[in-house]
Amino acid sequence: MPFDERAAPPPRAPIWDAPVRLFHWLLVALLAFSWWSGKHHDMDWHRRSGYTILALVIFRIYWGFFGGRTARFAQFVRGPRAAFAYARALASGRYVATPGHNPVGGWSVIVMLGSLAIMVGAGLFSVDVDGLESGPLADYVSFDQGRAAAAIHHLMFNLLLGLAALHVLAVLFYLVRLRRNLITPMIHGRRRAHEDETVEDLGASGWKAVLGMVIAGVCAYAISRGLHF
Amino acid sequence: MVASRVFKILHRAMLAALFPALALAAAPAAAQSPQVTIAARQANFKKMGAAMKVLKAQLDSGAPAKEVMANAARAIALTAPQQAKLFPAGTGASAGVKTDALPNIWTDRANFDALMVRLVGETGKLQAVASSGDVAALAAQTKATGAACAACHRQFRADN
Repeated sequence: MPFDERAAPPPRAPIWDAPVRLFHWLLVALLAFSWWSGKHHDMDWHRRSGYTILALVIFRIYWGFFGGRTARFAQFVRGPRAAFAYARALASGRYVATPGHNPVGGWSVIVMLGSLAIMVGAGLFSVDVDGLESGPLADYVSFDQGRAAAAIHHLMFNLLLGLAALHVLAVLFYLVRLRRNLITPMIHGRRRAHEDETVEDLGASGWKAVLGMVIAGVCAYAISRGLHF
Repeated sequence: MVASRVFKILHRAMLAALFPALALAAAPAAAQSPQVTIAARQANFKKMGAAMKVLKAQLDSGAPAKEVMANAARAIALTAPQQAKLFPAGTGASAGVKTDALPNIWTDRANFDALMVRLVGETGKLQAVASSGDVAALAAQTKATGAACAACHRQFRADN
């Protein structure tokens, strides 16, 4: 049988490296688990989950400097002018896909990552109302300061819920209105490429990823021990 | 007589000084405003929470200081018995003051009072164990006391 050219799969280009995808889905799972364990006052598991999220945040910041092309802050953090121009283009139907985070999405990454860092940071100093359960760094603050940290922790969680809802709505908007599926690329890491596009590697380095995981793990572990060595 | 006159003046001055003090001392028993009652119980709960945190920090540290723990446990044990009296009717959210006290405290009073009795019992044991110096027993009793706090908070405290 002759080779049928029309049956060839459409060209694919890598868009998200494996650490970015792993970070994303682990975060989704751990945020859900943290919420559940916090709700049920299972504070041992809530803390463990929080330490893992802490490691994820540290890794993601590291990966924003040493990761694959689309993971780097320098690649996706754009000025407000670029963000407004992109939003205007979207609104007027002149949509052009971005190979990576678009100028608005880049800001949403920064805001979500920042909120996450504040939430985790506040959790480390939090004290519960009974003074019995606390984060690993609560020994460094007073009871009142620890209660204030718990209030911030709670507030940031609600803010993050709102941001996550906005994130999902934006993804659905791309899916329904722009006919762009952003969900499966976050799973398998590839997107549809244009016919004439030269497919480029993301340049994510395996050993740099391992090094980042070690750094994140050691930092999170030291903080979980209250920085007592 | 000059002396008797001086005594009279002193006597009056003493009465004048004593009267407001007596009036102040008698006032809370008569009718304390809900705001004052709520503020008092909140201050007490904060005191207990802060002392629990001190106790916990000592137990978690490698070298717990016995005296610090005994002081914290005493503060908790002395404060807990005051709390049951600081939830009279009319000191819920309807008082117009910010309070996490849920209305079911006054509709499910027997249950609430039983939990208060449990708290007083556990904090009494806490004080006894803390003065004994048995660190392992104190760690266990701290947990038991915290469980008494939490049991009541889950049923009768908002924001929990």
